[in-house]
Amino acid sequence: MSALVHLDDVWKIYQMGSAGVPALCGIDLDISEGEYVAIMGPSGSGKSTMLNLLGCLDRPTRGRYSLGDRDVSSLDDDELSQIRGERVGFIFQSFNLIPQLTVLQNIEVPLFYRGVPRHDRHPRSRELARLVALSDRVDHKPAELSGGQMQRVAIARALANDPLMLLADEPTGNLDSATGSEILTLFDQLHDRGRTIVMVTHEDFVAAHASRAIQLLDGRIESDRRN
Amino acid sequence: MKGVHKVVDVLGLGLHSLVVHKVRSALTVVGILFGVWSVIAMLAINEGLSREAQRTLRELGSDNIIIDSVKPPAGEAKAGEQQWGIMHYGLTRQDVVRLRDNIPDVVRCVITHRTLKKAYSNGRIGDVSVIATEPTYADVSRIDMLAGRFFRPDDLLRAKPHCVLTRSLAEAFFVCDDPLGKVLRIGGQPFVVVGIIRQLPAALAVGSGSDVGNHVLVPISADRMRFGKFTVMFGQGGSTFEKVEISQIILQMKDEESVINGSAVARNLLGRYHEKRDYEIRVPIEEIEAMRKNRRLWTLMFTAIAAVSLLVGGIGIMNIMLASVTERTREIGIRRALGAKKRDIVVQFLIEAVSLTALGGLLGIAVGIVVPWAVEQILGVMTVVTAMTMLLPLVMAAAVGLISGLYPAIRAAKLDPIAALRHE
Ligand SMILES: Nc1ncnc2c1ncn2[C@@H]1O[C@H](COP(=O)(O)OP(=O)(O)OP(=O)(O)O)[C@@H](O)[C@H]1O
Ligand SMILES: [Mg+2]
Repeated sequence: MSALVHLDDVWKIYQMGSAGVPALCGIDLDISEGEYVAIMGPSGSGKSTMLNLLGCLDRPTRGRYSLGDRDVSSLDDDELSQIRGERVGFIFQSFNLIPQLTVLQNIEVPLFYRGVPRHDRHPRSRELARLVALSDRVDHKPAELSGGQMQRVAIARALANDPLMLLADEPTGNLDSATGSEILTLFDQLHDRGRTIVMVTHEDFVAAHASRAIQLLDGRIESDRRN
Repeated sequence: MKGVHKVVDVLGLGLHSLVVHKVRSALTVVGILFGVWSVIAMLAINEGLSREAQRTLRELGSDNIIIDSVKPPAGEAKAGEQQWGIMHYGLTRQDVVRLRDNIPDVVRCVITHRTLKKAYSNGRIGDVSVIATEPTYADVSRIDMLAGRFFRPDDLLRAKPHCVLTRSLAEAFFVCDDPLGKVLRIGGQPFVVVGIIRQLPAALAVGSGSDVGNHVLVPISADRMRFGKFTVMFGQGGSTFEKVEISQIILQMKDEESVINGSAVARNLLGRYHEKRDYEIRVPIEEIEAMRKNRRLWTLMFTAIAAVSLLVGGIGIMNIMLASVTERTREIGIRRALGAKKRDIVVQFLIEAVSLTALGGLLGIAVGIVVPWAVEQILGVMTVVTAMTMLLPLVMAAAVGLISGLYPAIRAAKLDPIAALRHE
């Protein structure tokens, strides 16, 4: 089985004035289709940096990254945008919904940038809203929703373009434990249906949902376990 | 097909943002509206003033050189040519020939002979200034005919006793009757009224010793035939008699430049043949220059005010647009993370800016047409809205709207998506 994600000696070095601050130091990693990976590690160990790289929000300073059948380590800005829209679904700790848009309109944003015509967007976004159990809230603005509901909108939005993988950076970090486990249950369901998920978390009980746990320390992979 | 969808979609997205940000959109529209209408109104008032000034200028006759016979100063009068107690001064037919032959670019040359006479009709009697002249006088003086006609070359040739009256004289002699075709006795001789004019242009009436209202114009041939070649003017106290062959020579020149050259030649020429200062050369172009200078000053002031109001409006718009983009940095980050290209972001903000500018600009034109109209109705000041005065502020507003919308949008699109997402 070929790897969905293939990182080969990937470095990320932030330039701070004259000094380079290494955030990732020579990461080698393969993630296969259908895996549910938890990335763990202390604060500042490079978890978010790694997730941003995987999601093509950023480019590695050094090394090779291929996503699916494409080497994405040397794409230009427009191509990266396109990859993000088509192959990646982001879920953020702070939800990052667009406040002036309704639930349905928020879900449609990735479809819009992919060029899906209006009359095809509507049925798709309604179906996604139903999937995350928000059919009765489609015309609400984010401010009128609870945190858990907002995160469910974000998950529906991340699924809109049927991406190769979902990337979640501490998706339960802003939620109470009951709502958090609701979201994790949703992740479990998605994983059961074959979704590839990469999730950053601090908490062991959250990581326990995943099929694989990667520990980062100072930009290096300290351990890589399968449950 | 996909392209069309995309255009409609992107347009919808831009317009949607406007509806959502109602207050901001309204403020921007109002800013452009005020900038545009105030400039249109200002330029309309200025254009109106300019047209009025131009009319006055045309009446002055910027292409004319006017030479009047004047009584020489008292000191020189003794030296003047006096025969049998008659003082002889002023312009002569020889002067006319010399001027016409030596000054380049003369289009027309018109002479007048002016006398004061008694006139009566219908039992009414009064003093009139009789101006004996040629048919072309109507062209060089640009007088408005109120009724009837000016006399024609044919009238001159056959020395017909026709006359043209100013309106005030027509009213004085004929009251409510139609004066056309009626007889007015001038210096005892009957003249038929053929036309009525409003008044003599002030520039030509100067020196006639009478106000611009009381003039009778007659063919110079008829004047000479009935009153003799040299009309004797009774001087003050009746102790001296004066002989003036030609009272005024009007040289209509090709253009303003030839007026300046021509007046220098005339000064030279007359100075050589006249021992006394018994003539005066007037060039309205000098007054006109002063007036133009004045007008330019006003235009400059109006333009400066207009520019400042556009600038202030522009800064306002730019401020709102910048604030809006900054406020939405996170939104830009989110859109970028979800697949938006830099270009998509720029286009979205551009559509917002264009729509706001277009709306504000159109409203501004509407108000900018109504306000000068109202000013004209209420204050009676002439205003002129031209395509140019509408286009200028619109183009400037559009430029300001686009630049102030585009600049922050490009800056925002260039922002690193990760940094934009972190923006609070
Ligand atoms: N834009 C940046 N410029 C400079 N240094 C950065 C930048 N982003 C991250 N870093 C540095 O890179 C390292 C890794 O940061 P990263 O955000 O990936 O940590 P993290 O594991 O996600 O931490 P946390 O658990 O607190 O979210 C840190 O030392 C951080 O200071
Ligand atoms: Mg982090």
